[in-house]
Amino acid sequence: MATVTQTSRLGTVLRPTAAWIIALIFFFPIFWLVFTSFKTDADAVQAEHLFFFTPTLENYTNMTENYDYWRFAMNSVITSSFATLFAMAVGVPAAYAMAFNPSRHTKDILMWMLSTKMLPAAAVLYPMTFLTKNILQIYDTHFLVILVLCLINLPIAVWMLFTYFKEIPKEIIEAGKMDGVSTWGEIKDILIPLAWGGIASTALLTFIFCWNEAYWSVRLTTINASTLSTLIEGNRAPEGLFFGRLSAVSTAAIAPIVVLGWFCQKQLVQGLTFGAVK
Amino acid sequence: MSDRTLPRILQTPAVLLLLVWMIVPLSMTLYFSFIRYVLNSTVRPEWTTPSLSNWRGFGNYAYVLEAKDFGFAIMNSVFIVVSILLITVILGLAIAVLINKSFPGQGIVRVLLISPFFVMPAVNAVLWINMILDPVLGLQGLAVGGINSLIDGLRDWPILGHFFSMWPQVEPISFRATQTSSYAVIMMVAWQWTPFAVLIFMTSLQSEDESQKEAAVLDGASNWSQFINLTVPHLARSIAIVVMIQSIFHLSLYAEIEIVSRGNGNKNLPYLIGEFANNNIGAASATGVFAIILANIIAIFLLRLVGKSLMD
Repeated sequence: MATVTQTSRLGTVLRPTAAWIIALIFFFPIFWLVFTSFKTDADAVQAEHLFFFTPTLENYTNMTENYDYWRFAMNSVITSSFATLFAMAVGVPAAYAMAFNPSRHTKDILMWMLSTKMLPAAAVLYPMTFLTKNILQIYDTHFLVILVLCLINLPIAVWMLFTYFKEIPKEIIEAGKMDGVSTWGEIKDILIPLAWGGIASTALLTFIFCWNEAYWSVRLTTINASTLSTLIEGNRAPEGLFFGRLSAVSTAAIAPIVVLGWFCQKQLVQGLTFGAVK
Repeated sequence: MSDRTLPRILQTPAVLLLLVWMIVPLSMTLYFSFIRYVLNSTVRPEWTTPSLSNWRGFGNYAYVLEAKDFGFAIMNSVFIVVSILLITVILGLAIAVLINKSFPGQGIVRVLLISPFFVMPAVNAVLWINMILDPVLGLQGLAVGGINSLIDGLRDWPILGHFFSMWPQVEPISFRATQTSSYAVIMMVAWQWTPFAVLIFMTSLQSEDESQKEAAVLDGASNWSQFINLTVPHLARSIAIVVMIQSIFHLSLYAEIEIVSRGNGNKNLPYLIGEFANNNIGAASATGVFAIILANIIAIFLLRLVGKSLMD
C-alpha cells in the first residue's frame, strides 16, 4: 500500500512540477526574445538592465525604418499563401486518385515522392541559379519563390492528404459514383466536406513550412522577392549593437506562425508521421 | 472515360512537376560535374561558360576528394545529424514519459513545449548565437561576468578570501569559431526538434496497452524494466519515424551554420557546396553528386526501416 501512495504523490505533485519546469525551460528562449524586444538597444546588453528596465515600443515602431520589415513580411505572406494554394490544388486531386483508385504503382509513386525530399537542395544550387537567372529569367521573382516553395512541400502535402483520405470509407465515394456524380462533383461535394479537417491542417502545415523555409527563398532572391528568412539572415551578426531591434523584428517574424502552430499542434503529429502514429 | 485513365490524369500534374523538378537540375549538376566550369577566370576565360569542349572527366571528383575540407564536411555532417538524433530521441522519450499522464495545465505545457518547433531557423540561430550564447553580451556572457564579479567580491573577505583567490576566473565559451560552433548548431536544432519528438512519442504512448503494464507490475517488474521491455518496443515505430523525418531535415542544415560561424570550423556537405559554388561550379557539382550519393544511402536505409510501417 505504501508504494501506491508514494507513486500517487509522485503523480500529483512531482510530475506536474517537473513537466512545468521543462516546458518553461524550452519556452524560455522565445520568452527572452520577446522580452528583449521591449528593451532599447543600449539596455539590451547591460547586466544591470537584465530584468529591470523601462519597456519601450520603439523597436517595433522603428521596424519599417530599421529593416523595411513590411516589405519582407508582405513577400512572405504572398509567397507562402500562393505556394500553399497551388500545393493544395495539385495535391488534393493526386491524393484523391491515390487513395480511392490506387494502381499497382501507387505505393512506389508515394515512396518516390518522399525520396525527392531527401535529395540535398544544395546539390542543385548552381543549376537552379543558372536556369532561373540565365535561361528562364525568373530569378528574384515572386513567381519563382512560389513555384519552388510549392514543389518542395508537395511531397509531404500529398502524403498527408493521402493518409487523411485513406480514412474515409471507400463506399461513400463509390455511392456517389453509382448516383452518377462526376469526378469533379465527387471531389467538391463529397470528398472536400468529409476531409475538410485534414485538408485544412495540411494547408496550415504547408504554410508554416513555406514561411520558415530558409534555403531557396534566400538563395534565389536578391531584393524584390526576398522573404523574412532573408531579412533575418542578412542581419545575422549585429555584434551586440542592435539586440533590441533585432529581437523585435525576429519576434514579428515568428509570432504569426508560432500562434498558428499552437492551433494545429495536434494535427502536426498525424500529419508529419503520415498517420503511422496514432 | 475508363476507371483507370481519370486517376492517372488527376495525379499527373503532381508527378510531372516533381519529375521535372528532380530531373532537370540534377542532370545539369551531373553535366557540370564533368566539365571545367568556373565563374571567374582571367587566365582561362573559356572556362567561364559551360561547354562540352571543357570536358574534365572525373577530374572534378578527384579534386574534391583531395580538397582539405571534404572529409571534414562529411564527418561533420554525420556528427551533427547523429548528435541531434541522439539528443532529441533520448530527451524526447524522457519528457514524453514524464508528461504523458494527465495533470492540471497539461494543455498549456504542451503549447509551451511545442512552440520552439515553429520558430523559423534563421530566427532560431540569430536568437541563440546572439542573445543567449554571445560570450560578452549574451546571457552566457552576462552570467559569466556575474559569477566572476561575485568571486571577486568573495576574495575581499577577511579569511576565506585566501581560499577564493585560488579560484580561477570563469572563461566564457565563444561559439562563433572552431569546433564549438557545431555544438551551438547542435544545441539550437535539438532545442527546436526535441518538442517534435516529445509530441510524437506522447501520441504514441496514449495507445500503449495498460493491461500489459499492470500484468508486469503484478509480476514485480521494476519501472525501468517496464520502460525497456514494454514502452520502448511499443514506441519503436514512432522512434523510426522521428529519425527519418529529422534526417531529411538535418542533412540539409544550412541557415544555422551560415548564421553561427559562416562555416568557420563547422561545415556540412551543403555548406561546402555553397562555398565551391562561389566560383568553382565543376567542384560544387561534383560535391553535389557526392551529397546525393550519401543522401541516397541514408534514404534507402531509412525507407527500408520505416517505409513498410507507413504503408500498413
